[in-house]
Amino acid sequence: MIDKKKRTVFKEGAITPSFIADSIAAHSRKNNIGAHDIFLGQVRNDLIDNKTVVAIEYTAYQEMAEQKFYEIREAVFAKYNLVCLHIYHSIGVVKTGEICLFVFVSSVHRKEAFDACREIVEQVKLLVPIWGKEIFEDESSVWKENK
Amino acid sequence: MKINILVFGQLYDITKVSQLTIYEVNNTEQLTRKLIEQFPELSKFKFSIAVNKKIVQQNTILNNEDTVALLPAFSGG
Repeated sequence: MIDKKKRTVFKEGAITPSFIADSIAAHSRKNNIGAHDIFLGQVRNDLIDNKTVVAIEYTAYQEMAEQKFYEIREAVFAKYNLVCLHIYHSIGVVKTGEICLFVFVSSVHRKEAFDACREIVEQVKLLVPIWGKEIFEDESSVWKENK
Repeated sequence: MKINILVFGQLYDITKVSQLTIYEVNNTEQLTRKLIEQFPELSKFKFSIAVNKKIVQQNTILNNEDTVALLPAFSGG
């Protein structure tokens, strides 16, 4: 059974390790899966002009972003033989060390999961209208640039 | 002719509003020109334009009540 429902991607604040653990556990019933690949994006303590980033505040054009996430899902499902696929992205403030992006790809064999997961992460960064504002200890901020 | 504008990311620091309305423009070039007249600082930034959630690369005809979003470089993930 292929699971490709349209669903909400955004989660307010950090994506918690317990949420990730529960997501993994929820797949134990899908016995046709032989491989999961997971990508976790974590907020990093970048040093910019001698100030350390303590958090990123994410904003998005949510309606367009949901549409883009949907298109990415459809394209990846069409290209790879996957059993299921979940994408979650934070909105709002996420502190350094916390998770802001969770991509979870499951397939029968490992290659498809690896390839699809990498492609999704690259596409999310390139195509989805989300912006990160890096916040410093003194509460000043700069807009993040993706490398 | 009424166009709804949505402003995101660092462009919001210039406009100080996340939504505004622009009247009497027929296409995205005219719209951009009008926005830059109103907010000259915008000319310093590179940004994409989405008409009704679709990014447009070329000058595009606008219709009454269209929603145009000003999108600086994305930085999700």
